[in-house]
Amino acid sequence: MRAKIAAIEAGGRAQAGVLPFGDAAIDGCLPGGGLPLGRWHEIGGTGLEVETAAAPAAFTALMAAPLARRGEVVWVLRRDDLWAPGLAGLGFPPERLLQVCARDEAEALSVMEDALATVGVAAVVGEVEACDLTAGRRLQLACEKRGAAGFLIRRRPYGGQARREAGGSAAATRWRIASAPSEPPAGEFGLGAPRFLAELERCRGGRTGAWLLEAAQAYEPAAGSYNPSGEMTDVAHPLRLVADLGDRQLAPAQPAHRTAA
Amino acid sequence: MRAVRRLAAVSLEAARLGLHPGQKATDAFALVPELKTAEAEPQADAAALAALADWCVRFSPAVAIDAPDGLFLDVTGVDHLWGGEAPMLADFRGRLAANGLTFRCAVADTPGAAWALAHFGADGAIAPPGGQAELLAPLPPAALRLETEAWAQIERLGLRQLGQLAAIPRAPFGRRFGRGALTRLDQALGREAEALTFRRPATPWFARLAFAEPISALEDMARVTADVTARLCERLETQGQGARRFELAFHRLDGKALPLSVGLSLPGRDAARIAKLFAPKLETVDPGFGIEVVTLSAEAVEPISGRQARLDKAREATVEEGLGPLVDRLTNRLGEDRVWRAAPVESHVPELAVGRARPLAKPSPARAWDPAAPRPTRLFRRPEPLEAVVALVPDDPPTAFRWRGRLHRVRRAEGPERIGEEWWKGQIEDVAVGHLRDYYRVEDAEGARFWLFRAGLYGDPAAPPKWWLHGLFG
Repeated sequence: MRAKIAAIEAGGRAQAGVLPFGDAAIDGCLPGGGLPLGRWHEIGGTGLEVETAAAPAAFTALMAAPLARRGEVVWVLRRDDLWAPGLAGLGFPPERLLQVCARDEAEALSVMEDALATVGVAAVVGEVEACDLTAGRRLQLACEKRGAAGFLIRRRPYGGQARREAGGSAAATRWRIASAPSEPPAGEFGLGAPRFLAELERCRGGRTGAWLLEAAQAYEPAAGSYNPSGEMTDVAHPLRLVADLGDRQLAPAQPAHRTAA
Repeated sequence: MRAVRRLAAVSLEAARLGLHPGQKATDAFALVPELKTAEAEPQADAAALAALADWCVRFSPAVAIDAPDGLFLDVTGVDHLWGGEAPMLADFRGRLAANGLTFRCAVADTPGAAWALAHFGADGAIAPPGGQAELLAPLPPAALRLETEAWAQIERLGLRQLGQLAAIPRAPFGRRFGRGALTRLDQALGREAEALTFRRPATPWFARLAFAEPISALEDMARVTADVTARLCERLETQGQGARRFELAFHRLDGKALPLSVGLSLPGRDAARIAKLFAPKLETVDPGFGIEVVTLSAEAVEPISGRQARLDKAREATVEEGLGPLVDRLTNRLGEDRVWRAAPVESHVPELAVGRARPLAKPSPARAWDPAAPRPTRLFRRPEPLEAVVALVPDDPPTAFRWRGRLHRVRRAEGPERIGEEWWKGQIEDVAVGHLRDYYRVEDAEGARFWLFRAGLYGDPAAPPKWWLHGLFG
């Protein structure tokens, strides 16, 4: 039945497929059993991260890493502070990354649209403050052209005023990402693998949820080496489920002052 | 020695009164008390000459400046556009006169002969191919572009015409007047080639459209752009070439040339695509009273193989059809410095470790970043200072710090990773222990991960160490 509804919604267009997380708990919430490609996804941060957007960027890079093995990834920035060595450490191939610095919001959105409709581009990440319904719809049409996935990181300029959140959106999913304390293996010093608290706030044709995810392969020598010829090789998704936090509000896991800002 | 003010140039009227360049200003005032003088501005003259050279590109793409007051145009192969050298010269003279310039010009086989005729021969002389010797014969030795002393010496010996000079056997001539005079004579007569420094290297990839009526509407400009592009691209295609850079110039009625250029990441010759790249830039062109000529030149031309469009669509897209055009669209719209690929640079100083490579350039041979070294996803261009840093022991990571007005309690930390400065690149006396950085990766109680460093070492009361935040892991 879900497939039928999806087919009606797609209006006869070919489905671009999905990118499964490889864990039934997450994939079960997403329509089609994975992150839908040929759609765009909205990713936001919490607290100060609304301005710095470090955790959302890291999380997006991890989500887009499997896609980067299929084609180019275009990252549209407003502020040039994305650092490629950090992405390499997360297992994202930096040689597949094309960075574009746009001058303003409208330009960033139009560059995203242009890149999404290009052959050979597997994913487009854009850092913009907000995306209204018209722009969202345009992005959606661009995504459908080639089946590329769009990731829209919502990021407010430094010192900017909070805008009212747009009510509706054409995004397939909306995520809110926060860093979570890492757990190094017992008896080891230092930091463990990076962990993220990922909250799926909205999901078209699916259910919402919240999970604690870990990038288990990050900063390991094997993670950065990838095989350029091995497209579509079946690599495990870089994010591993640590705990299912259910569909409840994240009040206990999230101290009040982080959400207050 | 006192500086003597001399005349640098005189007007026609002044020349008629017997004044000449190089004359002392006091002498000139004695002769003509009502003389008006103005300070010579050699730099402004040079700039005006350069502007005139740019204007002359409408006649030939190969224009060389002959400082301080001359221009050479290589009209080989372009005169047929006017129907011959004489109509071309007439058009040239008409347009220069319309701009209110005083000038003399001549056409000849060699730059030397043309220079001699323009300076000492009949104005507007056209030497027939191979016939410059007769025209040069009655000219004075000064027409050889020699130093004043050199030609004065020749004249003192009674040789007052180039014809007499040409009759002297080469060996005695060379011995008597020096190698330079012989070279100049050979260059004028075409016995020796002369290299001119063209203002821009002459490109054979050049197309030009002139209009019967000046145009100024945006649609017209777009149409002529498409036409001139199609014309040049057709030639490129028949020769199996592609270009990386196209320069379009709109020549206005008032003599200004407005240049536009687009670059391609891969050499190309697809006229429709190139015209489309020009389209958004046309709005910036101010047509003034109208545009009468448009020229297009291709640069960085290299052979490209004509590839057949793919028959099987299922295969993976090639760079030529997907990413190449995208990169071109973006670079031409946003600017070249706004589209890049991060390239590794072999430096252990974090902010120097990433360079910008052209999007479709070959990967740099530098070693890639070590994925095992944890590096932040976001790096601040300049590190942000941290306040209220509590570190229990020197060389220990801090236990708490304040950043952007908020206190962060450190839960876990890793480090230090010591990064020194690149002392081998600067002056040795600039190297200081204060430039040493100890990097720590810390995680606060809420899970946010930071990359911070301490600059300097403890124990130096003059320069206490400072703490900075350099990046965020997320």
